[in-house]
Amino acid sequence: MLLDLHTHSIASDDSRASVEQYVRWVGVLRKKGHCIDGFVLTEHRQFNHDVDYSTLSEANEILILKGSELDTDCGHFLVYGVTKEITEQIDFSNVNMHAEDLVEICDQMGAIAIPAHPGRSGIGFAEYLAGGRKGFDTIEIVEGLNGSNRPGEGEKAQDLIKSKGYKSIGGSDAHIVSAIGTCMTRFTEDVKDESDLVNKLREGLFRPVRLEESKEQ
Amino acid sequence: MSKKNIYFEDVELGDDIGPVTRTVKSDQVFEFVSLREPDPNPSRFTSEEAAKKEGLPNAIVPGAMNIALMSQILTDWSPTVCLKKIDVVFRGMVPHEKSLVFSGIVTDKDESGDSTDLECDIVMENQEGVRLVIGHAEFALPSRP
Amino acid sequence: MTTDEGIKYDRSLLGVEHPIGTFDVTKKMIVGFARSTGETDTKFIGTPDGTGEVVAPSTICNIFVNGVTRPDINLEFGDLSFFAGQSIECKSEIKPGDTLSATTRLEEVYAKTGRSGKMVFAVWQTTFSNQNDEIVALVNESFVRRNRSK
Repeated sequence: MLLDLHTHSIASDDSRASVEQYVRWVGVLRKKGHCIDGFVLTEHRQFNHDVDYSTLSEANEILILKGSELDTDCGHFLVYGVTKEITEQIDFSNVNMHAEDLVEICDQMGAIAIPAHPGRSGIGFAEYLAGGRKGFDTIEIVEGLNGSNRPGEGEKAQDLIKSKGYKSIGGSDAHIVSAIGTCMTRFTEDVKDESDLVNKLREGLFRPVRLEESKEQ
Repeated sequence: MSKKNIYFEDVELGDDIGPVTRTVKSDQVFEFVSLREPDPNPSRFTSEEAAKKEGLPNAIVPGAMNIALMSQILTDWSPTVCLKKIDVVFRGMVPHEKSLVFSGIVTDKDESGDSTDLECDIVMENQEGVRLVIGHAEFALPSRP
Repeated sequence: MTTDEGIKYDRSLLGVEHPIGTFDVTKKMIVGFARSTGETDTKFIGTPDGTGEVVAPSTICNIFVNGVTRPDINLEFGDLSFFAGQSIECKSEIKPGDTLSATTRLEEVYAKTGRSGKMVFAVWQTTFSNQNDEIVALVNESFVRRNRSK
């Protein structure tokens, strides 16, 4: 199963794509022979419990899940498995959030926090670890493949993965329609929902892929 | 050279618009800035020195000019294009005198309303492929007569 | 949801409409704008002998929005300001002889982090109407304030 684990719709301030447009674009990709089974909306600094994509999802045979991308004092983190208890405990709009607290709360509450685009300057996990930040013993996964990286940022992420032995996920970091699916994560088993996504990530049976590799199946 | 008229029926989702490679000359930027300030003071747009004082590596193209350049990827595509909305995010500094690649891709078609409308993504990249400006545009094309 | 908690600025300006001036649109202005942006279409730049009707490119409002002084929101953050994004919705054609009036209002102020560290964004919505009180363009602009790179 191929999922794009990092996308932004117009709910995020810097995105110009609606969820419906992403769904139509997935149709375009499928016509071209690419396999894409779904995507996770990881809106910046927010989580909307009320929005429900199940009708859109069923009508188009595409899994649409919800997550979040949060700003922390150690860069951006993708969070999957967000619950009401978590949003009550953490202020998602806080751009100075303590990263260790976020990771710990997610670990305790059935969610998972994964450093996004770790090779970026200013908002990438690698820079903070290199700067001496300690802790993060429970982190086992980072976003190794990001479709919006600039030259050098992906290489820096790979260096981090090699040195720490992290597993790697992939996501497009799409902010415009045609960017969705450019990077994805291939799971060996089907993912059913947000909670199942957390389980599959914890099990570690996945690898990052680029869109070009999605024609293999 | 006269451009070819493109009609709504000619376009499919996923069709490319461009790419077009252009270079913004420093003289052009000066002319643009002069439109609203006839004798402009040195600024990050017109002076390397002023730009460097602000920590920028070189003088940059104003965002207001970049959106005009982005709109031209559509209006230059076909004389039949009627631009309805353009919406861009400036993600990186756009330098003078460097090759810039402008491109678009059609992402939506809609003929359910009064007009035959389309939507597309638009992107400006530098020579290294870094996306300096990204965005979205809505436009109409007439139906084939 | 993005909040502006902790950002110091003049919150009384939020959502308040401010007139920012009237602007006479001339053929010279349209042709100058079009030429400086590398436009080659005679619809916008006129014929080589200077005759012929012109209409304004859709982004012409940028001559005016960038020249106006908006109310100071007294933002207490950062020492550098950049244009972060813009949308222009073209409602009606703008032609030489039009007189446009514009009003602007502060829509939102919020913080985020990016490659250059913490940033604060201010979003303004500006409406341009012509002499017939017809809205010709809606312009949404986002400005970012950040600290100088070390």
